[in-house]
Amino acid sequence: MIAAQNGHGGAYRRLLDEMSEWLTRYFRRRLPPGEVDDAVQETLLAVHRRRHTYDPQYPLGPWLAAIAKNKWVDQLRSLARRPVDELSSEIAVGDHEASVVSSSVLASLLDELRPAQAQAILLVKVQGYSVEDASIQIGLSASAVKMNIHRGIRRLTAIIEKTADVE
Amino acid sequence: MSNEVLIADLSSDLAPVRRRSMLREGGLVLALGVVELALFLAMGVMRPDMRHMAGSPFLLWRVGSLGLLAVVACVLAIRSYAPTARPRRGLTLACALAIAAIVGGAFVIPEGVSERTLLDRINPASGVVCAASIFVLSLPIMAMLGALMRRAGPTQPRLSALSSGIAAGACGAFVFAFCCPFNDPLYVVVWYTAGCAAVAGAARWCLPRRFHL
Repeated sequence: MIAAQNGHGGAYRRLLDEMSEWLTRYFRRRLPPGEVDDAVQETLLAVHRRRHTYDPQYPLGPWLAAIAKNKWVDQLRSLARRPVDELSSEIAVGDHEASVVSSSVLASLLDELRPAQAQAILLVKVQGYSVEDASIQIGLSASAVKMNIHRGIRRLTAIIEKTADVE
Repeated sequence: MSNEVLIADLSSDLAPVRRRSMLREGGLVLALGVVELALFLAMGVMRPDMRHMAGSPFLLWRVGSLGLLAVVACVLAIRSYAPTARPRRGLTLACALAIAAIVGGAFVIPEGVSERTLLDRINPASGVVCAASIFVLSLPIMAMLGALMRRAGPTQPRLSALSSGIAAGACGAFVFAFCCPFNDPLYVVVWYTAGCAAVAGAARWCLPRRFHL
């Protein structure tokens, strides 16, 4: 990174390659498969724009993890802003191990929410039900389901922001 | 675009960058504060009895505590701009320092002041002017801290903006303390706190806008 800050393109390229691999693993455990590439590229761009903020006195890992966590939160916010009935066709596809880890992380996060919020997010965002189908299953109106999803994702974002950058 | 293409784009014609430096950024804020104070005093607005009051505990408390708060808050604000920083700790420290300064005011009440009515002591008509003056005087420092924040990469921009607002407000209050003619700690606590809070609120509202890591 120090060489990259001094303008060494080759060193920077190697560094970004390594960061890209690490970020792919990081986001695979935290985001739906369709969102991983976007998150990795957003983070690489942020690393590039803010490379002058890295202080060589400190390790690189926490610096990268702080930026990655910020981008993870951004991605969660953008997921929350999207219409709830539009799901990526890739959501059920993907690497088996990543899906298991991702669902385990998601399950522990959903435990922090109210049952109605967790159930709405699980049905609509994870299992792919439409809001109408989910509202019939839960026994609430469609607008209440949307509200529960919105509030639940906002609460999840707040929880993630409070947690440490590196596990 | 694949990750490989993006990495190739980013690493081609890479320019050297100048690293952030706490000393340089702190020096810039300090220099701006000194220039602002010098210009303000050059306008002839310093209270006329400043020499007479120079040794009084009240003035030492007012100028000393505001100066200390300004320096500490500026350092904490600049530190909070690093991506790995945790601005909440700095904010807690700045608030604790401000509370300690407020409590210290109880020990420097000049004679005869405590006999006046509460409304006389608070003097809202002058107090609003004081708070507004602090707000205006803090704007240059707030702009400077905002520029430093935009150049850096805070991962919690709202808290960093709040830290910047507290720092800018403390600097504005410190400069204003040299011309404020009121000698009542209660007045200082109420209106200086109001001025600093207004600056902090404005910074919290406007600095994170259009900021993106």
